[in-house]
Amino acid sequence: MGSVLRLLADHGPAFGQALLLTWKLTALSFAAGFALGVIVTVARLLPLRPLRFVLTAYVEVFRNIPSVALLIFIVFALPDLQVVIDYEPSVILTLVLVCSAFTADYLRTGINTVAGGQVEAARSLGMRPLVIITSIVLPQALRSVVQPMTSLLIALMLSTSLASQVPLPGRELTALVARIANDSAAGVSAFAVAAAMYLVSGLLIAWAGATLDKKVRILR
Amino acid sequence: MSRALEDILFDDLGSRAQAITRAVSVTVAATLLVLAAGIVVRFHAAGQFEGRLWEFFAWKTTWAFLGKGLLGTLASAAAAAVIALVLGLVLLVGRLSRLRIVRWPAVAVIEFLRGVPTLLLIYVCFLVLPSIGIKLSAYWMLTLPVGLSCAAVVAEVYRAGVLAVPRGQTAAARALGLNEARVFAHVVFPQALRYIVPALVAQLVIVVKDTTFGYVVTYGELMQNAKVLIANYRSLVPVYLAVAVLYCLVNYALSRASRRLGRPMH
Repeated sequence: MGSVLRLLADHGPAFGQALLLTWKLTALSFAAGFALGVIVTVARLLPLRPLRFVLTAYVEVFRNIPSVALLIFIVFALPDLQVVIDYEPSVILTLVLVCSAFTADYLRTGINTVAGGQVEAARSLGMRPLVIITSIVLPQALRSVVQPMTSLLIALMLSTSLASQVPLPGRELTALVARIANDSAAGVSAFAVAAAMYLVSGLLIAWAGATLDKKVRILR
Repeated sequence: MSRALEDILFDDLGSRAQAITRAVSVTVAATLLVLAAGIVVRFHAAGQFEGRLWEFFAWKTTWAFLGKGLLGTLASAAAAAVIALVLGLVLLVGRLSRLRIVRWPAVAVIEFLRGVPTLLLIYVCFLVLPSIGIKLSAYWMLTLPVGLSCAAVVAEVYRAGVLAVPRGQTAAARALGLNEARVFAHVVFPQALRYIVPALVAQLVIVVKDTTFGYVVTYGELMQNAKVLIANYRSLVPVYLAVAVLYCLVNYALSRASRRLGRPMH
C-alpha cells in the first residue's frame, strides 16, 4: 500500500492525464465509429449491389484484422504511400474503423429482430423505404443493441492501450505503466493503479449501459 | 425462413424506381472503380510498384519465413486457447459455487482479467515480473497473458451456456440421485457446451488477434517476422499488406466456422 502512495505522490498527475487521454481516445473513436457504423448499416440495406459488396468486404476486413496490425500499417506503411497521419489521429482512425465494422455487424443483428410484418405494413401505408428505415427499423434496432454496444465500448476502451505502440506525445495508461516499469522498480504498483483505473472505467461503462438498456429495451 | 428485411423494403419497385436504382448502382460502381484506380495511381506515384519491393515474394524462403511466423502465431494461440478453456472452467465452477469464500475470489479474478487490457498484462509479464525475479520465455510472456484474459471471457461464456440449460434437467438429474458434481459434469455442462460452441470459436478470433502483440516481447509470430522481413528488404507496404491479408484470412475462416456452428442442428 505504501508503495502505491509513494507512486501516486511521484506520478499522480501523470496518471490523471493518462486516464483522461484513455477516456478521450475512447470517446472520440466510439462516437465516430458508432456514427460510421450506422451509416454503413443503412447503406448496406440499399438495393445497390456494388455498394453492398464493397461494404460487406469492409465489415469483414475490419472485424477480422488485429487492431495493432492496422495501427502499424497506418502509422508506418502509409507514409510510404505519401499519406502521413499524425500519431493520435492514427490511433483514433484505427479504432474508428474497427468500431464501425463491429457496430455494423451488431446493428445488422438488431435489424433482424424487427419483424418483417412491420415493414410490410409501413409499405402498404405508402411510406418510402428510407423513411421506413430511419423511423421504424433503426430506432428498434438501436434499442435492441445496447448490450452488445456496451461490451464494444468497453473493448474499445481496453483497445486504446494499443496507443502505447506508437510514440504518442501524451501517454495513455498502458504506455505510462510501461515507462514507469522501464525506468524504476515501481512497476507492480504502477500496474495496480492502472488496472484499477481500467476496471473502474469499465464498470462505469457497464453500469451506464445496463441503465440505458433497462430504459430503452423493447419487451417482447 | 422469412425474407430478409431489405428484400421486403425494396421489392416490387416501380419501373421508374428500378431504373433509378440501376443508374445509381452503375454510378456507385464507377465511383468505386475510380477510387481503386486512384489507389493504384498513388502506389505507382510513390514508387511502390518497384520490383525490389515485391521480388522477394517470389522466393520460397520468404514464404517459409512468413509461414513460420504464422505457425508461431497459431502455436501461441492454441496454447492460449487451452489455458482459456481449462482456467475458464475452473473460474466457472468457482463462480457457480454456493460458498462465498470460493465464489467471491472467482468473481474478482474474472472481473479483473476481463477489465484490464491484454497488452497491459503482457507488459507486466515482460517488464514487471522479471524485476521481482520471475523470468518467462518470450513464448510464455505472450501466451500466458493472452490465455488469462481470454479465460475470464470464456468463464462468462460458459456461464451463459450453463444458465441456458433448462432448470428441469438439473431437477431431473438430482431426482435420479446424482450428486452435485455429476449433475454438472454429466448433465448440465455437456448441454451448455452445445449452446456456446459458436461463441467459443468466435473467442478464438480474439486470441489470434491478441497474439499480434508477440512482437512486443520479440516472440517469432507473424507480426514479428514481418518486421524482420521489412528490416531486410525495406519494403513496408507490401509486407504489411501481405500480413494483414494473412491475418484476415485466418480470422475470417474462424468467423465463418463460428457462424456455421451457430446454425441450428436440425
